[in-house]
Amino acid sequence: MDPHTQTLTKIAKGDSQALATLYRALEKPVYRFILSRLNDPFESSDILHDVFMEVWRSASRFEGRSKVQTWIFGIAYRKVIDLHRKRRRVDVTDDIPDRADDAPGAEACLSAGQDADHVRHCLSTLKDDHRSAISLAFFDDMTYGEIAEVAGVPEGTIKTRIYHAKKLLLRCLSGLVDRGAPT
Amino acid sequence: MNKDMTRDEIEALLPFLANDTLTGEERQSVEAAVNADPDLLAELAALRAIRQTMQSDMVQSPGNMGLARLMRETKAQPKPSRPILWQIAAGVLLAVVVGQGALMIQDPVSQGYELAGQVSPALIGFAPEVTESAMRDLLLEAGVEIIGGPSALGLYKFTAIQGVTFEQASGILEASDLVETLEPPSE
Repeated sequence: MDPHTQTLTKIAKGDSQALATLYRALEKPVYRFILSRLNDPFESSDILHDVFMEVWRSASRFEGRSKVQTWIFGIAYRKVIDLHRKRRRVDVTDDIPDRADDAPGAEACLSAGQDADHVRHCLSTLKDDHRSAISLAFFDDMTYGEIAEVAGVPEGTIKTRIYHAKKLLLRCLSGLVDRGAPT
Repeated sequence: MNKDMTRDEIEALLPFLANDTLTGEERQSVEAAVNADPDLLAELAALRAIRQTMQSDMVQSPGNMGLARLMRETKAQPKPSRPILWQIAAGVLLAVVVGQGALMIQDPVSQGYELAGQVSPALIGFAPEVTESAMRDLLLEAGVEIIGGPSALGLYKFTAIQGVTFEQASGILEASDLVETLEPPSE
């Protein structure tokens, strides 16, 4: 049973305290997801606010076909894409990246993967759709099916995005170590 | 490596073994492949390290400041104006009743009509002390809508909303103490 369904039902009836309850439960993971894509805390705060205002306005439209959390992440996903579109920074694509099949050094990846600065830097080099998939998988421990629901694409598309995102991330981390970046 | 999955498929699923969400045969296949391949095992260790690092990375979220902003704006805006499902159901019921009346007036010879492909409704009866609010919450949770009633016995006709099967709805309704009677749709 989804723990947030009853809360959302109350929100649909106009209960602002229920909205506060849902905000306290999901604010951090939703904000972290937005921040991972925008890399700007001020913009991310505004988008987070917009997401929960949309929850307030649209709670009655929730059809229960997914978990409440997945539905809200889907709202956040689309709002960031809308922002990118306004700035003409859209790079939503499933292009296969160059040299994605190069095998990075496993030891270097393991070492760099333990450094938060290195991981943040390498995440920032990914395209938005790749970064989103990795963020939802590793920040929020979502299944590929849930990530597909958030992004509104088939599960196979998410597997493809994760495959390439993971390759690029590992190669970036390996490269940092090879170039002697401080760990 | 599992002969039913390609190397690329195994690699695509590796992050979901790292976040422990992979289940069933897919999990077995990926685990078997990892155990047989030191490169995959090393990659899995790196992915787990990345996940651990990401989850440990503290982020300062808007917190109470953001909540205060949200509450200010909800007060400034009216409550959600869209009708919730039971109101839609009431609207549909009214439309059906009015439509039936109109057709009966237009065709006095007819003994009634039936919509093509119409799903017959199921019946539900509630315990006497159940409030309308509790009934409404249960119907929303189960994904069903009242389309008629109450009958002389206090039974309501209901159908599942689009995307919900009777079996899914009845699982929730049967588990509720609010429900005294539940009859499936007639064949």
